[in-house]
Parts: sequence; C-alpha cells; structure tokens
Amino acid sequence: MILTGLVLGAALGFALQRGRFCVTGAFRDVWLAKRTRWLAAFFVTIAVQSAGAFALDAAGVIELGGGAFPWLASILGGLVFGFAIVYAGGCATGTYYRAGEGLVGSWIALGGYALAAAVMKYGPGAPLVEALRGVQAPVGTAYELLGVSPWVLVAVLVTGTGAAAWHHLRKDAARPKPVQLPSRRRGIARILFERPWNAFATAVVIGVIGIAAFPLSWATGRESGLGITTPSANVVAFLTTGDVELVDWGVMLVLGILVGSFIAAKGSGEFRVRVPDAQTVLRSTGGGLLMGVGAAIAGGCTIGNAMVGSATFTLQGWVSFAAMLLGTGLAVKLVFGARRSGSPAAASAPATVGV
Amino acid sequence: MTVHVLETEGQVCPFPLVEAKRAIAGLASGDQLRIDFDCTQATDSLPRWAAEQGYPVTHFDRTGDASWTITVQKP
Repeated sequence: MILTGLVLGAALGFALQRGRFCVTGAFRDVWLAKRTRWLAAFFVTIAVQSAGAFALDAAGVIELGGGAFPWLASILGGLVFGFAIVYAGGCATGTYYRAGEGLVGSWIALGGYALAAAVMKYGPGAPLVEALRGVQAPVGTAYELLGVSPWVLVAVLVTGTGAAAWHHLRKDAARPKPVQLPSRRRGIARILFERPWNAFATAVVIGVIGIAAFPLSWATGRESGLGITTPSANVVAFLTTGDVELVDWGVMLVLGILVGSFIAAKGSGEFRVRVPDAQTVLRSTGGGLLMGVGAAIAGGCTIGNAMVGSATFTLQGWVSFAAMLLGTGLAVKLVFGARRSGSPAAASAPATVGV
Repeated sequence: MTVHVLETEGQVCPFPLVEAKRAIAGLASGDQLRIDFDCTQATDSLPRWAAEQGYPVTHFDRTGDASWTITVQKP
C-alpha cells in the first residue's frame, strides 16, 4: 500500500504550490523583512500535527518517544541546512514543488540535494555522519527530559501558536486587502486553480496531511511521518543499485509532491520551464549539495526535523529547527547584506518610460 | 507622471520584492513602478507589500504562463 504515499504526496505538493508555502521564505522573512507571519503559519503546521500525532499515539495507532538526542549533529547539520536553503532558493519541499512548476534552478538544487544526501547516508560520507550522530545525550524528547506528559507541551504549543496566528490574522484584517489577479474562472476551477489560499488555512491543510502521514506510512512498515531527505537519498540509491527494497512509502511521497505541484501549476497556468542565469545555477548547485549534507547530518530537513520532529517534541527536532533559523540568518547576511548596502552593478535599475 | 519598468524575470523570490523596494525608494511621488516577474511566490508577496505600504496598485495581471506584471504608484 505504498501508493497511499503517492496520493498524500500529491495532495501535499498541490497545497504547497497553491498556498505558496515556502519554509525557506518563512525563515528568511524573519531576518530580511523582520516579519514573522509565515513563521507563525509554519508553527500552525507544527501545532496541528502535534495534537494529531499524540492523539494517534494515545490511541495506540503509532508509537512516539524514546531514542537518544544526537545533539552535535542536530546543531551542526541544522546550521548547514539553514544556510544552504537560502542559496538553493528553497528547502527540500520548496525545491520539490518549484521543480514541479518548471524551475530548472530547482531541478539542479533537487539533484544536488538527493545526490549529497545519498553520499552522506549510504556512500563515502556515511562514516562521518555516523561519527557525528554518535555524539549523543541519553534522552530523546523534551517531555521525557522534563518528566511531564507530552500533552502539557502540546497545550503550551497550541496556545502559543493560536495566539500568534490570531495576532497575525487580526493584523491582516486591519490592513487593506492585497489586490488580487483578475478572475478568469468560476466554481470549482476557481477554488482549485485560481483563488489565493490564506497562509494559515494552507498551514492547517499541511498539518492535517502531516497527521495522515503517520498511520498511512506506519501501515506499510515505515514507522515515521512526513520525511523528505531519506526518501530522496533512497531514490538515488535505488537508481544506482536497482535495490527495489529502497522504494518505500517515503519514495512515493516525494514523487507525489512533484506530481501534485505539477498538476497545481499546470492547472493554474503557472507552469513554465524557466532557465536560470549562471549565478543562480551556481547558487542552486552549491546550495542543493550543502542541503543534502546538512540534512543527512541533522537527520532531517525543515519537514522531518523542524516540522515533524518539533511536533513530536524530539530534542533533535527543536534544536535543529533553531540551528536552521540561525543558519538562514547567516546566509541572509551574506546574500542580501551586500545588495542592501548597494553595489550598483548587482541591482537591475528600472528603465524609465515616459507616459 | 512617469512609469518606471523593473524587469525581474528569471529572478527567484525574494529578489523581485527586494529589487522593487530598492527601485521605489528612488522614485518621485506620483511616479509608478511596473514590476514584471515570473516567481510564483511574488503573486502573494508583491501585492501584500503594496497593501502594507499603502501603495495603490494600478494594474495587476497575468502576461502569460507563469508571468505576471504589477504596477504600483508611489504616493
């Protein structure tokens, strides 16, 4: 039944594309625009998923908790990954959904990411990753560390996130509404392929998809939720070894994201093969490769760690989430710092047209 | 009244927005800035930026598959 992964992945890809849900953008906004609206939306996906995951755990459908905390790898890998996503122009899921929109730069970043993840997980980089991940603290989750019920943390997370979302929704309501594109469609076609999705509504949809991932993946013997990095490495490993065992629910999930975002983009007239300039090619290549290295070390990307790991209160999840945010801040300084202080060569000056 | 054109096709987000902010800073009051872009995310971020800054949007439309144009006026 690994085909449920393909269906759920397609739903995820569709929601990411239509909702313009970009975790890199959310992290970058914190540093570049000093805005937390998209970060708050990202927290909504964590909070929704957290409540759902622990409900499934309580019902005995899945089993959470246990494990150790590879603290060194979480910090180091998180920093590298957070840094890399700014250059790659998207995190793992962002790169998948943009690849489905026809962005060649994202195809390059995606290839680099999957290749580097395979090198670090199954190839010559594996001993380094193992050594780094061997540096561990004995307790793996925040609630076991604090000695409280996970529901205490779920309650704190849901309350805090709810307050932040409420704050942003009220701010949105108080401002003039952003102008929308003229509508060309009606009915269901407009709802699916034209109407802009609210950031917080998109976040709830993605959170629900994240909840559904647990039992669907568990049923096939893959005992985890949404994940991008290991499946991407598995695609490369399968293509180079022919080992069919590697094609699991997670592989179907990531392929589904491509399919879903392509359908969403094509259906809404937003698919076009877009070839980047030389500088973007270099950034996508370097960023993609570094992303794979960082995610393999950290044990997950913005989804596996920052979203699912945080939702299940693993220390690896929260610590690498914080490290990613810091890494993004560092890269923003390097990429946009020089631009902002203004080298005229880097800026495309507007042409003036008399009217 | 003058319309200034900023072509950002081929640039990924957030560059269209970053460039737009730079460009509008140098404009005279009443002038318009037309931003042509092909980064999907900017269909959300550019109109939201205009709304937040209180810049009137005089034109916003598709120009083809995955290409858009938006014109904002500096008040």
